[in-house]
Amino acid sequence: MKTQRKWLKWLPVTLISVPLVLSGCGSNSGGSAATASTAPAASSAGNADAAAKLKVMWWGSQARHDATLKDLELYTSKNPNVTFAPEYTAWDGYWEKLPTLAASNTLPDVLQMDAAYIQGYAKRGLLADLSDIDLSGVVDSQVLENIKIGGKVYGVPLSYNGQGIVYNKEALEAAGVKLPANDWSWDDFFAYAKEAHEKLPEGQYGIDDMTNIWEFYQYYQTSQGKGPIFKDGTTFNLDKDTWMKFQQIYADFRKDGIVPAADQQLSFKENDPQLDSMASGKVMLRTASVGSASVIESLLPGKLGVNNIPIGEAGGGWAQSTIFLSVSEGSANKEQAKAFIKWFVSDKESGKTLGLTRGIPINEEVFKELEPTLASGDLFAKELLEAAKPKALPFYPAPAGAEDFVKTYKSEMEAVMFGQATLEEAYQTLLDKGKDAEAKLNK
Amino acid sequence: MFTLSYYYWFTIYRVQQSSTIYPALKRGLAMLNKKQSRWKITGHDIAGYVFISPWLIGFLLLTLWPILQSFYLSFTDYSLLDSPTWTGTDNYESIFTKDRLFMKSLTVTFTFVLLAVPIKLFFSLMVAILLNKKVRGLNWYRTAIYFPSLIGGSIAVSALWRNMFGLDGYVNHVLSWFGIEGIGWISNPDTALGTLILLNAWQFGSTMVIFLAGLKQIPKDLYESASVDGASKLRQFFKITIPMLSPVMFFNLVLGIINAFQMFTSAFIITQGGPANGTYMYVLFLYEKAFKQYEMGYASALAWILLVIIAAFTAINFLVSKYWVFYESDGGKAK
Repeated sequence: MKTQRKWLKWLPVTLISVPLVLSGCGSNSGGSAATASTAPAASSAGNADAAAKLKVMWWGSQARHDATLKDLELYTSKNPNVTFAPEYTAWDGYWEKLPTLAASNTLPDVLQMDAAYIQGYAKRGLLADLSDIDLSGVVDSQVLENIKIGGKVYGVPLSYNGQGIVYNKEALEAAGVKLPANDWSWDDFFAYAKEAHEKLPEGQYGIDDMTNIWEFYQYYQTSQGKGPIFKDGTTFNLDKDTWMKFQQIYADFRKDGIVPAADQQLSFKENDPQLDSMASGKVMLRTASVGSASVIESLLPGKLGVNNIPIGEAGGGWAQSTIFLSVSEGSANKEQAKAFIKWFVSDKESGKTLGLTRGIPINEEVFKELEPTLASGDLFAKELLEAAKPKALPFYPAPAGAEDFVKTYKSEMEAVMFGQATLEEAYQTLLDKGKDAEAKLNK
Repeated sequence: MFTLSYYYWFTIYRVQQSSTIYPALKRGLAMLNKKQSRWKITGHDIAGYVFISPWLIGFLLLTLWPILQSFYLSFTDYSLLDSPTWTGTDNYESIFTKDRLFMKSLTVTFTFVLLAVPIKLFFSLMVAILLNKKVRGLNWYRTAIYFPSLIGGSIAVSALWRNMFGLDGYVNHVLSWFGIEGIGWISNPDTALGTLILLNAWQFGSTMVIFLAGLKQIPKDLYESASVDGASKLRQFFKITIPMLSPVMFFNLVLGIINAFQMFTSAFIITQGGPANGTYMYVLFLYEKAFKQYEMGYASALAWILLVIIAAFTAINFLVSKYWVFYESDGGKAK
């Protein structure tokens, strides 16, 4: 009798709490499970015409999000059996989220990839081999050859990117400074900086203090044919003499006021309307990528000129694709995903919808179609690309595993800029970090 | 399970942050001291557990489990993309022996805690005393003063701080009236941390509200009898207000230290830890290890070290408290 009563007492409690618990657990895993399970019929079908709901993920700006969403709609209107579950964020959040998805085998069907990361993902077998997508006439065969990893295509390149130099033509001409020219040498570059300092009014500078930007030093080293800081992505290769020489030039520039003072330099914020070093009128020249050139053009419309990064015997700067669309190896809808990617890069209507939101389209025909409609900022970006292309070296991103080195380079060189560390000390720190990274890369 | 891994970091601090733990802990300790604890589970206890089971299961699965996982991970090399490999105490060894950023971030964080906590407490106490008066439009003042705490570490605040302390900012503008040439306060490694400490002090709202509540609890008759006896206002403040308020101060101090150790947002959005690592907070270091460099094992080890540091500080706080915290309920004896 007594036990029975106890049971009755428990009953309502249990009835209330169980669904609560269940719903609590359900919402936890719901986010990823829901999209994966909405297309159960398609997962068994392997052909490109079968119905599917593709999960697509990319990073970018609002303009890119809007254009891409519109483009997905367009695809669905033409292929009603393929629908999309899009997910999009800014750069930082994207690379935080992707590894967690990879760790749980829930990578989206189609995902945007970056040149700095694609190798790591491909080597771990997370990306599908896309070599059988026919891209002849869409992507230049040389470009396609360059982006192969182990002889296979793991990401279809979407656009050209590159690095060049933009300068305030108007202000330099007014001050009577000799303008930078294409294919200039590093000596020309440094001579320009000195001349600009002499001729420009007080408080204006020819160049930024790039001491803490590792990529910028790397341009100097690679232009002399001494290879990138991480050779083949595995060997640490910071050439001491070259580095010392380069850093000494900047140290002298700092002393002579040819570059902005350290605290001023570090308060600049690239592409910020007020805090950008060029837009604020304080610095007359800086590096810019094809992808961001339209921003600085919009801040100083009609005043800018472009040319390439200073070159050496080996060339200089880089120009190639850095954004790709990949398909995850675990995707159940590979064929539909491949068909979509092919359409995404080759279809003219798709190209029009996307515009230049991912840079200069990789497909020459699409670009020609777009050219008459382009705004001045976009044409400026194209001009920058053309300047960078002829002497371009390969793009050498920091390999995955060298993040600590990159981080240390910035902070340690900032210490140098503020006189808190000597070049010799900084070199030693970088050498240690570089060796650590090397050990990690060869593991 | 993967979603859980995403929460490792946050759960660790959620536990630390939940203020409910301290009173409960105190009561628990008191119970143990009096040896009244009873470990037999009765029917009533079970009913209690069933009632809290929705929360309890959530806690076990989403909080306790990830915490235990992170303890395991702190002994592994785990990049998220590859499965974790056991490396023993390697992470801890390299943190303590090789990692210069560990020492740097600890130095920055300790400096921050030691300066920011007292400044904030002092500031919020002063404001609470000012607001503990009968003035017209008092509610308006309270709202206005609490407001900065609401916007927290947002992007807007970071823009505001840059406008204030930037090279062409308002602060330098005002300085220029006196013929002083300013510096880039945020972009200078010697002063950047100072601007973050000021920002922290400016967001004193919740501390101030707690002080205000404490002030309201002090019986008026104490002041009345003191002034009848001829005690000056200043004497009243030191002999009545401060002792009566000491439990609240203690509470704010403990929470303030715990929160200051975990300072992240403003260092992340205003300075990104720079310049020259001048504002490289410990939690920022932990975050970058985890989500920029994908060293989850290493980051887990860092999280556990932080937990130990905060626990040690809290324990010291509790030990020292009996020398200065006054509880009226204990018969007016400092306990």
